[in-house]
Parts: sequence; C-alpha cells; structure tokens
Amino acid sequence: MINGTDKILVCCGTSCIANGALDVADAIEAELRARNLGESVEVQVTRTGCSGECEQGPIVRLMPRDTMYYRVKVADAAAIVDSLEGELATKLLYKRDGETYEHMDDNPFYALQHKVVLKDVGIIDPLSLDDYRARGGYEGLKKALEMTPEQIIDEVEKSGLRGKGGAGFPTGRKWRSAASYDEWPHYIVCNGDEGDPGAFMDGSTMEGSPHAVIEGMIIGALAICAEEGVLYIRDEYALARDHIQHAIDDAYAAGILGESIMGTKHKLDLSIVRGGGAFVCGESTALMASIEGRVGEPRAKYIRSVQRGLFDHPTVLNNVETLASIPTILREGAEAYARIGTEGSKGTKVFAMVGKVKHTGLVEVPMGTTLRTLIYDIGGGIIDDRPFKAIQTGGPSGGCIPESLLDLPVDFDTLTEYGAMMGSGGMIVMDDRSCMVEVARYYVDFLCEESCGKCTPCREGLRQMRAILTDICEGRGKPGDIELLERICHTMEDASLCALGRTAANPVLTTIKFFRDEYEAHINDKTCPAGVCAKLTQFAIEADVCTGCGMCSRACPAGAIAGERKQAHVIDPAKCIACGSCREACRFNAVLTERRPA
Amino acid sequence: MSETITITIDGKECTCEKGEYLYDVAKRNGIFIPVFCRHDAFEDHRACCRICIVEVEEGGRSKVVTSCVYPVERECNVQTRSEKIMEERSVIMALLAHRAPEAASFKPMVGRVGTVETDRLVTLDGEKCILCALCVQACNSLGTGAISTVNRGTEKMIDTPYGKESAACVGCLSCANVCPTGAIEYSEDDAVRTIWNREFELIRCGECGQIMGTRDSLALAAGNNEVPAVCDECRKKHMADEMMATYRYV
Ligand SMILES: Cc1cc2nc3c(=O)[nH]c(=O)nc-3n(C[C@H](O)[C@H](O)[C@H](O)COP(=O)(O)O)c2cc1C
Ligand code: SF4
Ligand code: FES
Repeated sequence: MINGTDKILVCCGTSCIANGALDVADAIEAELRARNLGESVEVQVTRTGCSGECEQGPIVRLMPRDTMYYRVKVADAAAIVDSLEGELATKLLYKRDGETYEHMDDNPFYALQHKVVLKDVGIIDPLSLDDYRARGGYEGLKKALEMTPEQIIDEVEKSGLRGKGGAGFPTGRKWRSAASYDEWPHYIVCNGDEGDPGAFMDGSTMEGSPHAVIEGMIIGALAICAEEGVLYIRDEYALARDHIQHAIDDAYAAGILGESIMGTKHKLDLSIVRGGGAFVCGESTALMASIEGRVGEPRAKYIRSVQRGLFDHPTVLNNVETLASIPTILREGAEAYARIGTEGSKGTKVFAMVGKVKHTGLVEVPMGTTLRTLIYDIGGGIIDDRPFKAIQTGGPSGGCIPESLLDLPVDFDTLTEYGAMMGSGGMIVMDDRSCMVEVARYYVDFLCEESCGKCTPCREGLRQMRAILTDICEGRGKPGDIELLERICHTMEDASLCALGRTAANPVLTTIKFFRDEYEAHINDKTCPAGVCAKLTQFAIEADVCTGCGMCSRACPAGAIAGERKQAHVIDPAKCIACGSCREACRFNAVLTERRPA
Repeated sequence: MSETITITIDGKECTCEKGEYLYDVAKRNGIFIPVFCRHDAFEDHRACCRICIVEVEEGGRSKVVTSCVYPVERECNVQTRSEKIMEERSVIMALLAHRAPEAASFKPMVGRVGTVETDRLVTLDGEKCILCALCVQACNSLGTGAISTVNRGTEKMIDTPYGKESAACVGCLSCANVCPTGAIEYSEDDAVRTIWNREFELIRCGECGQIMGTRDSLALAAGNNEVPAVCDECRKKHMADEMMATYRYV
C-alpha cells in the first residue's frame, strides 16, 4: 500500500550524476505525476550522499521498505513506480555470484560495513538540517553542553578515538593538551585538504553529512574552550565547500553557531578557508601557514601545534573523519564506540577502495578488518578474477602490501610494522598487470610536484629517486641502484623537515622489500615482468588462442594490429607503442607480453 | 630566571640554558657541526638544508634532529658524528653537491662532511644555488621583501614575484653578500648596477668618488628619501677636520 511515508531516494553523488541520475529522478517524478501519485510519494533527490558503491550507479532506493535498485536508467522509471505496490523490478536488483539482493544490508558490499561516520551519508539530504536532526543530529552536542570541558575530553579519551588523518594520534589526548595551555584564544581547525591521489573519504563526508563535521567541531571547541574555528577545505572540493557553507549558515540561523550555542553562554564562529592547492598543504604547519596567508610551507619546529599553532596560539587540528565521529561518541557514549575495532585502534575507518577490484567505492568498516575481507568479501575480488598482486594503502606516505600480508588486520599500528601505513584511507588494488617499480616511480613523481621543496633531503632526494626509478623503468638501471635508493630513502626518513618527506620513502621501500625481484628483473634482465614499462615490453598475439574478434585492433591507438575477422590477428612491433590497450581489451587472454629487444 | 642544564655532546659535558639551541651549545664548546642555512645575523632559522643533523638520546630513545633549531629542554646525550649521522650527512652533502655543482665554496665542505661516491646522481647544469634562502631572510630583515622562494617541490627556486623586476628591490646586494655560494648574479658598470632583472643608478661620493650604493638603497637607509652627498668615510673625515678646527681656537 502506498501511503504518505513512501520515499524514493535517488543518489546524486558526483558519480551517479555523471551516469544520469538527475534524468532518472526527473523521469520518476514524471511517472508519479502521470499516475497522480505525486502527492503521496516523495521523490527525494539526495543531492549527494554517495551511497558508496559508485560504479553500480545510478542507485535508487525505496523507503521505508529498503529496496535498492542499481544501474537505473530513465526507461526504468515505470517499473520502479510499479514496484512501490507490485512486483519488484528484479532486473535492477543487486546480483553477485548468482544471488540477488533486495535490501542494502544483505548486499555483501554493505553487510560487512559498520557505519558511524557515513551513517547518514546517502540517506539524508545534506542540505537539510531537519533531516540531520531527525536521525539524532545535534543530540551529541546537547549532551556536551551539559558537560564540563574536562568531562567531554574524558569521554572522547575513553572512546579510544584516534586521529584519522593518518598519524593516529589519540584525539582525547590532543584536546587535553591544547586545553591545558593558558594562552588565549584557542583555535579549532578541521583538516579537509585530502590531497592523496585516489582518496575521496573526507570529500564525500563533507558533501554527504556536513552537519556531522560541524557538530564535531562545536563539541571540540567546547572541550578546548575555543570560540573560533576554521575548516580548511581542498580547493577542488567545490561541492563539499558549498554544502559545508550551507550547513554553517543553517546552523547560525538555528542558533547552533554564533553568539550563543543552543541558548547557552558558549559561542563559536566557524569559517571556511580554501586550500592552497598542493598535497603538502595538508601537513599541519603548512596548513596553518596557509590559513595565516603565508606560503604553504611546513615550519621546522619542535613545539607542537597544541601549544603554538594557528597565529602561534594553542590549536587543535583534526581530520574531517575524526570530527565526524565525535557526535556519535557523545550521543551513544564512549563505551559503545570503544566496543568497535581492535585493542589499540577503536571504532571504524572509512576507505576509498579503487583500482582493479570488482566493486569500488567508499566503505566504512570496523578497525581491524583484514585486507582480504575488504578486497574479496566487500570488494568482490579482482576484476576478471585475475591474480591479486598488491594493495597500495596510505597514498604517497604509504606502501604496497603483497598477497602474503592480506590477512593482516588494518589498523593504525599493524601495517606500520611492515613499512606500510593505513594512512588516511586511500586504497588502490592492483592485479598482476601492475609494475611495482612504475608504481613507486608514480608516487615519487607526484611528490616531486606536490612537496614544498623547502628542505634538501625531500626535494633533492625525490629528484634523484625520480631519475633513478625512471632509468630502471626505461632499461637504464644499473647494479647498485637499489642500494643507492635505500640510502636516499633512509636519509629522507630521518632528516626531512616534515612528515611528507619522512614518509615519502615508503612507496619505494615497500616495493623494494616485497617485490625486489621485479626491480632486479628491470635492472639485470631489462624486462618488465608485468608488461607495463613501455621501453622494455612488446606485445604479441598468441595465434592459437586468438578468436579474431577484432577487439584488440579497435582498441589499439597506434593502428598496429592487423587481421581478418575470425582469423588470428598480428601486432606489428614497429608500430606498437606498448601501451597495453590490446591486452586490456582481449577477453580471451590471447595477448602476451615479451621482452622488447634492445 | 633561566634554568641551567648539563648535557653531553660527543662525550663532553656542556652546560647550557634551557631552551638554547643545540648548535649554539656545541659551537660554544668547540664542537664542529656543519651548517649552511643558519646565519648568526638572523634570529629565526629556516632549518631547510638539514646538514646540521645530530643524534639525540633522551630518556632511552634516540632520534635525529636538526641542531640549529633543536631547543635543549632536558638532559640528553648528543652525538654529532655517529655512524648514522655521518652516513646521512654524506647523503645530504651528495644531494646538495649534485644540485649545485657550480657552488665552488662547497668543494672543501664535501671533503670535510663526506659524500656518496657514485656516478648515478643527476646534476643541475650550471646551478650554484643550494636553496638555503639566507638571501630571502636578508632581504626580509631589511623590510624590503623583494625576493622569496617560488614554485614547489623540485622546481623551487629563489626569485622576485613572477620573475618580474621588483618594485620593492633597492639593489643593495644584501642577498648576494650573504649567499654562501655566490649564486646571485649581478653586474655593475660606472653608473649602473643590474640585479634581479632591474637596473639601479649608482651614486658616487661627491668628495672621493667611491661608489656609495644605489640611489634606492641609500634613500631607504636614510629613511627620509634623501641621498647623502658624501660617503660615510668622507663625512667622518669632515667631522674630524671640523673638530680639529674648532678645538684649535678654544
Ligand atoms: C604531507 C601531508 C599531508 C597531509 N594531508 C592531510 C589531509 O589531507 N587531511 C588530513 O586530515 N590530514 C592530513 N595530514 C595529517 C595532518 O598533518 C594532521 O596530522 C591531521 O590533520 C591531524 O588530524 P587527526 O589527528 O584528526 O588525524 C597530512 C600530513 C602530511 C605530512
Ligand atoms: S619534507 Fe618535503 S614537504 Fe616537508 S618541508 Fe621538506 S621539502 Fe617541504
Ligand atoms: S643549518 Fe640546520 S638545517 Fe640548515
């Protein structure tokens, strides 16, 4: 029976919009009007709120019955409206390994997740304060307003919450330390710079649940007695900035921000500062320099920001996800939060899983979930069931983890023991067609542009590493290169000025540690075992396997492949640019890689 | 009232005030630590060259710190020449020497600090600048702020804003004079000095004819935009002559 409470939620996250979600929403609304149902069913276009499983979008969800439809097209509008009363539109339901799933929570992509930070993302309209409040929003703040700063800090400390920006510093301890300095004013700053290539956790959180971030900041401000706060948001994140600004405006209008927080004597002003546009600007001292209007360069200092931060005043800097966890901790209590996760790392972590995994997207899992669970149970395994090779975690500060370590629990401390890092939550899954030397080169190259260039070990170390790694990838590597890379790496780790340089060696050191044979193959045999490095690789088609479907010749940008239909095709090595497009295109594994003769 | 702390540097007991920078303590005690980006003329140090690293053992834990900005807060045991420090310093030295192969003043330091023997490092042809940015500090301390570091990462360099001639520059040569490697180029003929893409009129002493400086720098130094007619030496000589004349009559 259709009644007034029926809702049709259309995910309009960036990815779903790109796939036509807005047209789908229009079509559903038109269909409802045509059937005179416009009044009784509300179509809610959640303007963002990425539901997580982007590549299955556009996603439409019927509430309260909780039916999730995937890959919806305009033409499906009628079937969807039919299904409000009648039969399910089975062809739109989620299918995996022969099973069909109607409800979100049954779908294995979601079943193993545990949402705290993302609990409202994809469900509420991020532009609606009422929506946020209807799901418990600002209840945590109400509790905090009845507590002393000391009690708030105790609660956060008891929850075991650790900073999710990468370093994992205990949040309660950070707050207590800042609160202890008798120098006024104190500031609270939210780090929304998110510069890791491939990461979109914080952006999605700010877009999908902006009030959660703001509520967390207000509670933090109460704890350290700050009356001014800044959200530093990555320059490219226009939508996140809009939603945050909208939420700030609504919070002022509702008396949640400003001269009197919810009618109390506490006050707080929040404003947004646009990021400086470089990865290094996410580093705490560079970020504060940037807010102060100076060049976004880290400062060499042995005094921490909690004592002397923004404008040399005691400052708490927290990551978006850290702050968005706070309302739940206050509302549900520290014990409830501390029950999630592992001994040393409490609560949940959001990951942006991309690469060669079947189901990419945004996932939130309890700390301590293994990489295997993330990749295989939630992500559904590797595309085309190819062999898994490595997972890159933590972006330019993290490392590549091999198959043998997939059963490690992911938390702040475990991966670090192996030279990698959980980092802020970026994860790139790689199959056997990824070259680990090239991956290291990619991150070094990224940092050559995205570091600040202030100090010698980082700037010159990266320059030299880029040259050596490029040589190795292009067949000019020499014996001794690996050892030289290691010497530069260790110096960077100890002597760089900021954590960017101190962790920049991780992608290089982990690939050397776990995939040394691949480096050696490049250097000694001048081959790229993964068939990626163009100067060392050529492609050939195995005549017996080739079905002559022609996919490869259509994919080849260089026009190097010839062959009649249903006849084995041939690659002309003289024309081949070794881009690998044919290998990606071939569905019969007929494309082989060979060592390119010198 | 400041607190006194006793620390050990390379086995030698040294006393210092709480908060004093480790490098200063070592220097006072005759212990050599190389520095490139630190200059006594400035209070703040950029700590960007990283050559001054030392190992500090505090409460059972050992860490590598840059001595030029590391404040001594408690008792500790410092090693300026441990195996680790010597290794990492020679890597830093090699990195700098390859970045700035034309920095002549560097050659003796390479011998003293050590380097990495390899032909696998790339060099920046013709480069002299090690990016210590002492020039920027010098310029800022005059209040001119005509130059700064520009660009990021491996492209970082010292320049005027957008590489254009800077209205703030007075052509005083403070930057070139503080530069340890002679990386800042300028030229001079009889009447004109050229630096940072800009030409400056040179003013000579009305008496002895010595170059006193550029018009802009003299005006800035005078504070009232007036350029003195004679150089300091001649002015002093004048004053002495006048005094002589006066006293002779008394
Ligand atoms: C190069 C570099 C980039 C960073 N980028 C970010 C970032 O984008 N977002 C973030 O929250 N933290 C980033 N961090 C970590 C911050 O410096 C800081 O530790 C963090 O914001 C503290 O918040 P948390 O304790 O809540 O994690 C970065 C650190 C470095 C060294
Ligand atoms: S380590 Fe890199 S990013 Fe950090 S200060 Fe040095 S050059 Fe800049
Ligand atoms: S002298 Fe200490 S970092 Fe340069």
